[in-house]
Amino acid sequence: MLADRPPFDDLYREYLGRIYAYVRAQVGGSADAEDITAQVFMNAYQAYARFEARNTTPAAWLFRIARNATLDHFRAQGRRDRLRRTIERQPVAEEDPAHKAEERIQYRALMAYVAGLPERQRDAISLRHSGLSFDEVGGLLGCSEDAAKMLYHRALKALREVAQREGV
Amino acid sequence: MSEPEEELELQALQRQLDDAFETTRPRTGFEDELWLRMQSSRPAPSRLRDAFAGFFQVIREVPAVPAGAVAVLLVVLIGVGTVALSGLGRHGGGANSSTAGGANLSAPDAGQLYAGNFGRVPTPMFNNGAKSSTSAQPTAVQGASGYSGPVQLTWTGKFDLTISTAPVFRYREPSTNESDQFASALGAVLRTRPAGFLGSYQASDYTLKVRGTVQSPPSSPAYFIFSSLSMPPVEAAGATPQDLADIFLAQHSLQPQWSYTVAVDSSSDPVKVRYQRQFQAPGYGAAYLVDVNGERYGLEVDLSANRPVLASGLLPVSIDGADYKIVSSDDAIHAALAFSSPAQPAAATPIPSVQLNQAELVYVLVPAGNHSFYEPAFMFSGKLQVNGQTYVKRILVPAIDPSQRTP
Repeated sequence: MLADRPPFDDLYREYLGRIYAYVRAQVGGSADAEDITAQVFMNAYQAYARFEARNTTPAAWLFRIARNATLDHFRAQGRRDRLRRTIERQPVAEEDPAHKAEERIQYRALMAYVAGLPERQRDAISLRHSGLSFDEVGGLLGCSEDAAKMLYHRALKALREVAQREGV
Repeated sequence: MSEPEEELELQALQRQLDDAFETTRPRTGFEDELWLRMQSSRPAPSRLRDAFAGFFQVIREVPAVPAGAVAVLLVVLIGVGTVALSGLGRHGGGANSSTAGGANLSAPDAGQLYAGNFGRVPTPMFNNGAKSSTSAQPTAVQGASGYSGPVQLTWTGKFDLTISTAPVFRYREPSTNESDQFASALGAVLRTRPAGFLGSYQASDYTLKVRGTVQSPPSSPAYFIFSSLSMPPVEAAGATPQDLADIFLAQHSLQPQWSYTVAVDSSSDPVKVRYQRQFQAPGYGAAYLVDVNGERYGLEVDLSANRPVLASGLLPVSIDGADYKIVSSDDAIHAALAFSSPAQPAAATPIPSVQLNQAELVYVLVPAGNHSFYEPAFMFSGKLQVNGQTYVKRILVPAIDPSQRTP
């Protein structure tokens, strides 16, 4: 084991909760978040032998896997939803008002609003508040550190507007 | 809205986001389940390799282990290897055949089944790999050796248990980082990471070694302070050994943060001051932490001519608890008596009889990989005479209802 590569146990303990929170902010629901988080760590576990610590931080590496897994989930879900609507000729279901009321519990609601942001804004908020630096966020989103900062602040303002509109 | 006001609002939102991300965590048990899945997904050869590596580490840590014990360990290892290959992985290490050791407690009542917050917990494996443990310790240490022969057991005591649940405590396996932090708080600096230890550290007048959980024999995460010759004696006129130990621990901020009673063994040099750890079981009271031989432990300071020569104690770890259903006192007694040896009328030497007359709730360590447990157990004891020597026979049986444990 290389000195600059921590044992996977340590990584697992340190990042499981943070990766879950990131994924939860992306997908909204806890069941999907668990499935995706499990996939993230299964993939990371298999790939850890190839992880090069000199190229990236463990956090950035894990969050890249998490981001890809989330995008895969959305792609698969999009295909499933389109197929289901075509077969059933049903519109997208309205959100249950009771469920919506329950979601108003402050942090849960806030996470739900994050999940409702456009993809890149959602990513910027989630990655930043999962503990990544702007440099790491930019690296994951394919932009510069400054661009990541701007994207984050635009996302923050958009989130504030949503929260104010919803009365949180 | 003015710009400063807007900025304040955004800052407040950032704090809320920090809190939201910090507090959004998966449900209890998800971490363990996922770890289990990950371990199960590993190729079988690497799991078997780990099982063997663990076995040889045990042998290294117990150099004087007798050949018979090695043979037993090999049998256990084969079981562990089988469990690893079957996909149960690191959390299945405490499991084995439910009939091993004969501790077949009452069948689970389907109407009362429930698992505590930690899910089904591993079954304690006492010495010799059984699900229960017997040990005989001489009451007089000097000149006596342990008695390990067969015995006939009867119960003559009174054991009315008024509780139906008891807490199980769980801790996460300490990391090298946590070990380093512990050492750093003491003022010791990392020197090496020897095999079997999280770290070896050096302070001005002692060497500190920190070890994680040992699977077999089950041993808690611990620290060991070995004094160098420059370690000064503790100066306190008229102080008892316990006073000296207290002072030494206070000087190093090592006072136990858990309930304990103190026992002092002055029968030899060094004098041993033992702080015996207790867990609180609501409705029952304090229950001692014991090892597989039923010996209480926690923290020990050895003093020679008022000079601390060794301090060894439980490494501080964060512990959380959850209530679990436990077996009745009748079932526990029945399980203990199952350790009676079968009658052998033709035997040259009669099997000694032991009247078990004391029972108490205790806690035992159950190592289980990423997380380990302190689980309640019942310890029965009684005296016996063999060749004019008095011994105390102790029998440990798991207290948690079988429906709450891994089989």
